[in-house]
Amino acid sequence: MIETAPIWLTLKLAFLTTIILLFVSIPLAWWLSRSKSIFKTIAQVMVSLPLVLPPTVIGFYLLLAFSPANSFGKFLENYFDIRLAFSFGGLLIGSVIYSLPFMVHPVLSGLSSLPASLEEASYSLGKTKRQTLFKVLLPNIKPSLLTGIVLAFAHTIGEFGVVLMIGGNIPGRTNLASIAVYDEVEALNYYNANIYAAILVAISVIILFLLYFSNRKLQEVKIL
Amino acid sequence: MHKIFSLVAILLFIFPSVSNGQSQKVTVAVAANMQYAFKDLKNEFEKINNIQVDEVVGASGNLTRQITQGAPFDVFISADTKYPENLFQNHFAVEAPKVYTRGVLVLWTTKPGLIPVANLQFLLSGKIKRIAIANPKIAPYGTAAQAVLQKFILLDKIKSKLVYGESISQTSQFIASQNADVGFTAKAIVLSNEMKNKGTWIELNHDDYPPILQAAVLLKYGIQNNSSAAGKFYEFLFSATAKDIYKKYGYLN
Amino acid sequence: MIHFSLQKKLHAAKGFLTLDVSCEIREGDFISLYGPSGAGKTSLLRMLAGLMQPDSGFIKMNDEIWFDSEKKIKVNPQQRLVGFVFQDYALFPNMNVEENISYASAKNDSKKNIELLEITGLSGLRDKKIQTLSGGQQQRVALARAIARKPKLLLLDEPLSAIDNEMRAQLQNTLLTIHSQYNVTSIIVSHNINEIIKLTSKTIHIKNGRLVEYQSPAKIFCNKSEDSSALKCIFLFSEKTGNDYHISVLTGNQVITVNCNEEEAKDLRNGDEIEVSFKGAKVFLRKL
Repeated sequence: MIETAPIWLTLKLAFLTTIILLFVSIPLAWWLSRSKSIFKTIAQVMVSLPLVLPPTVIGFYLLLAFSPANSFGKFLENYFDIRLAFSFGGLLIGSVIYSLPFMVHPVLSGLSSLPASLEEASYSLGKTKRQTLFKVLLPNIKPSLLTGIVLAFAHTIGEFGVVLMIGGNIPGRTNLASIAVYDEVEALNYYNANIYAAILVAISVIILFLLYFSNRKLQEVKIL
Repeated sequence: MHKIFSLVAILLFIFPSVSNGQSQKVTVAVAANMQYAFKDLKNEFEKINNIQVDEVVGASGNLTRQITQGAPFDVFISADTKYPENLFQNHFAVEAPKVYTRGVLVLWTTKPGLIPVANLQFLLSGKIKRIAIANPKIAPYGTAAQAVLQKFILLDKIKSKLVYGESISQTSQFIASQNADVGFTAKAIVLSNEMKNKGTWIELNHDDYPPILQAAVLLKYGIQNNSSAAGKFYEFLFSATAKDIYKKYGYLN
Repeated sequence: MIHFSLQKKLHAAKGFLTLDVSCEIREGDFISLYGPSGAGKTSLLRMLAGLMQPDSGFIKMNDEIWFDSEKKIKVNPQQRLVGFVFQDYALFPNMNVEENISYASAKNDSKKNIELLEITGLSGLRDKKIQTLSGGQQQRVALARAIARKPKLLLLDEPLSAIDNEMRAQLQNTLLTIHSQYNVTSIIVSHNINEIIKLTSKTIHIKNGRLVEYQSPAKIFCNKSEDSSALKCIFLFSEKTGNDYHISVLTGNQVITVNCNEEEAKDLRNGDEIEVSFKGAKVFLRKL
């Protein structure tokens, strides 16, 4: 009937993208919440850009960047023998860029909402900035972290424009579920298209349920 | 005052501007590989008739789906016969589709220093990392490319290097940007003004793949709403002038 | 002994305020910091803790230099061994009482932590999440946490301002106990004169960023002449019954009614600030 590989591939991409984004976004959001430098505004604009740009634009520029005809792509090919276009790695990079604001914004919002005295107290008690981040700040913004994780994950599942531009639809590597739906429709196989679509909807609904349910649990603990 | 201004603005948006005179229009859905040849078709047709031609270019499958959902197209120029047949079976066309030309497959590369060789063995080389073909599920040129590879007993060996374009346009774009080292595309594309001097290509043996029969069909929408202009354009596709244009772009008649 | 001289340009409500305070505090002293709102008291405390950078000056704690703008020395708050009790307590919501208190200490200091819990009367609450505690209890946790590391300097930024009067007296006693037990040099910011007199031996009086006086609270807040009993109070209303004329005034939280001369009182309006003094009257005292 339908191949299940696209579904697993999509889940794998979403999972890995979310993990990478956690590692990237936490330090970034922490810096943004405390920085007063002139680069802060520039960084904020760059982080928010993928929210505003059409995914096809992101994909288009990535394709140009990855191309061996251009300097970056040529550098990767000559020194590392890597071609990023049409590879899972290339999709991963595209996903991380595309879903970046969905992780950074909730975490940043959470960190900014914590009173400054909380980390000052931690410093006065002898803890370094990093210790403070992991022992005091992050544990107290669990709902924000959860929101970021779920949004980034769900957003990556729905990725189409970027994948269309740089994916190449390679079985087992870049043929994601969103493209599979599109192809089945193109081939006039509406039955198959419906199955893919239904599975994607089911996954999204489950994820959203998890988010709202977990958030409620966390709120209950917080009652003053 | 503001209210009147808004009302006028809204009305101007809702009611299309009144056209001057009786000039007719025909809307044509065009398969991606035909878009370059189509420019010439459009110019010639407009010279002879006082009818304006609007085109909508896309992948054949995409256009077919839009037509079944009521898109206001008069004529459909496809890259194959399957999609027009489908429309005819589902009563979106009144007459059976007619073949207007035959597509030609070429092997093309824009990578400096790379020269395609007719026996295709160079595709096995380690230097060739990515080979672009159109998705065989939805594009007839992809099916043809697959058939050629099969004939040369290369398909299984190079399958891991294949990259699938959603349409012949995207496939060509992969090749043109060098993201694919080499790929299979339509001759019409490498002969177009935009791609004419880019890279090198070789024409593949026509016997090595099933003929790419490209059919056109007169749509029900066209007959019901625009029969005279639509009919004229449809007939034009099979005229001598049109045949010359197909030849110019490398198609077979 | 802690010796400092600090200057900083602060943003105040009406523009800029230059804070310039120099002072020497003996080891083990309990000092208060008093002055109108916006005078720079909290900023001074934060600079001593290392949470705010002075524009110029120095801070010397015994033999350690914590800050010196000329020698470009700046010790960060982590290394200063300062205990800070914030106005909003700043307790960590993700930890319970015991975890908050032992946050600063090394792994095997449980004996010391138990002692702290006892002194602050929190032994029974050690497992509680801090959100479930009352204001007074939270304040005690903040205090215990601040002294857990046996700091060289204990800084308290209006710690009791949000506590009701009854609990306030109890907590003041706790502060006294801790101060005498650990003999830690302490500075408390307070607006409560009673509290200042009860707890501290010397007061730094700050006005407009400048140090105005630095001496015992008794000398600052009590009037110069020996038998002056002048009361600053708010005029409420006056009443005449027969030949008696008396006024009701508000002092602190209490309303008192006194006989007086009609001439003096007739132009007063509700809300006027006045001074009432008793010269040569007989005084009666009664302990409640």
